[in-house]
Amino acid sequence: MDLIVPIVLIVLALFGAPLFAVIAASALWGFYRSTDEGAWELLQIVPVEVYRIAEMPILLAIPLFTFAGYLLSESGAPRRLVRLSNALLGWLPGGLSVVALAACAFFTAFTGASGVTIIALGAILYPALQQAKYDDNFSLGLITTSGSLGLLFAPSLPLILYGIVAEVSIDQLFLAGIFPGLVMLLMLSLYSFWHNRHLRSSNRFSWREVVAAVNEAKWEIPLPIIVLGGIYSGYFAVSEAAAVTAVYVLVIDLFVLREVRLSQLPQIVRESMLLVGGILIILGVSLASTNYMIDAEIPSRLFEFVSQKIDSPLTFLLLLNIFLLVLGAILDIFSAIVLVVPLILPVAMGFDIHPVHLGIIFLANMQLGYVTPPVGLNLFIASYRFDESIMKIYASTLPFLLILLLSVLIITYWPTLSLALL
Amino acid sequence: MSSSLLKRLEQVSRLTENAVLILLLLSMIVLAAGQIILRNVFDTGIIWTDELLRILVLWLGLAGAVVASRDRRHIKIDVLSRFLNDSWQRIAGVVTCVFTAFVCALVAWHAGVFVSGTFQFGDTVMGGAPAWIFQSILPIGFGLIAYRYLVYGLATLLGKELG
Repeated sequence: MDLIVPIVLIVLALFGAPLFAVIAASALWGFYRSTDEGAWELLQIVPVEVYRIAEMPILLAIPLFTFAGYLLSESGAPRRLVRLSNALLGWLPGGLSVVALAACAFFTAFTGASGVTIIALGAILYPALQQAKYDDNFSLGLITTSGSLGLLFAPSLPLILYGIVAEVSIDQLFLAGIFPGLVMLLMLSLYSFWHNRHLRSSNRFSWREVVAAVNEAKWEIPLPIIVLGGIYSGYFAVSEAAAVTAVYVLVIDLFVLREVRLSQLPQIVRESMLLVGGILIILGVSLASTNYMIDAEIPSRLFEFVSQKIDSPLTFLLLLNIFLLVLGAILDIFSAIVLVVPLILPVAMGFDIHPVHLGIIFLANMQLGYVTPPVGLNLFIASYRFDESIMKIYASTLPFLLILLLSVLIITYWPTLSLALL
Repeated sequence: MSSSLLKRLEQVSRLTENAVLILLLLSMIVLAAGQIILRNVFDTGIIWTDELLRILVLWLGLAGAVVASRDRRHIKIDVLSRFLNDSWQRIAGVVTCVFTAFVCALVAWHAGVFVSGTFQFGDTVMGGAPAWIFQSILPIGFGLIAYRYLVYGLATLLGKELG
């Protein structure tokens, strides 16, 4: 039974059982087996652990930021963001592709890489790229990759979730993500310039257009300042910044710009809270499964095992990269964080890897997972959204995947990049 | 039962879900923003707000999970079922639904035991409110998810498409 049950659970997961149910089942089974005759009353630990969701003040940030992000994506914000980046960067040769990268990164930071970026911004950027004679494969790959690009920038949901699970300061994680995120952005931009060096942009730089675009986006521009400025001036806690963002976006979109109608609100709330519910229930049940694993001393046994085989932190990081790449291709980022971070954090700390740096490594690898065949989420969303075969999406994304891989290696082996601002 | 009545029921419960989500989210936004205003403008605050906000997160999370169950949009891996033919796909669908329903029912049952425990001991939250009321979302939420997956399992078994 000790072998059969885990195997059955894995098979069920691979055939499409919801992950939260699989995790809950493994926790229930673990507690039940903790005495020889079967400990029925210990199963109560599972709902009690789920109730711990109500004991983590920082979680408040998740529904509030998610709602704000979904609301933004329904408004004219994506269009204004593209216009503004285009005014600033569009005059460069290959500039529109960099516009796409920058706009997507900014937008994903607020919407948490749940596929919203591809749908909201792709609809504007893909036709624009086609019109400007960018080749089709490049455009598809660019949009597909950009959909998860802002993951390392505040206030992205995965950063917050890692902070909660690893119990490290979210303020520090927000700072740590800046340089690694910029490295990814820079490397992809350089590739885009190089690939499109023959394309002369028809846009000329115009101050008049910059002023007009800034003026049009004047309600969105303060958002990053409110979030980051508020947090780092010590004025707001992260969850308070989330509350302010939600109120601000709600008032602007509903009453000032009037781009979202009141009748659209139920659907926006439903869609965003559906995502939040999906994440929180996985977090809740994995609190229980982690509790079981710690009772069974699995993390410390794992560390003993690993430290017998590996003696240098560099080898550990290399294996970690490979492990996370495989993990990211199978599991979505949220489940991966809540399930795997409690296991590898003690091991990584044993190898003197800073928990904040580990977080950045973890998320950077997971970001690759979004575009790794065969099951990367962005690949499916792009295939569905642009009505192209999944094979074509795989092929078009490949060069971007390789560049991201290189940037992930840089981020992994150069800790200063993550830790310089702390 | 006629199918139009069933459809009506579906519509009503969908609207109820939306209403609950909106109510919870709006209370959360108002409370969280209110607390910031009170602190910064009036240099005061309501003591129980922070605790209530945390409980609201739990409620919103579980309500969202119930909604995700209806729309069958829970996070899953599902790499193998696409290689199955139709009838095997249906079998896989029935098995995973029944499994999910069973697990959630088990959690709901133990959540019920947990809540009746705090009811008997008279535990309180927010300086006096009975804790069991706020905890009751656990058996309710998991119970509703179990029900959803049981219905889907049965519908798949009978070969019916649901909304």
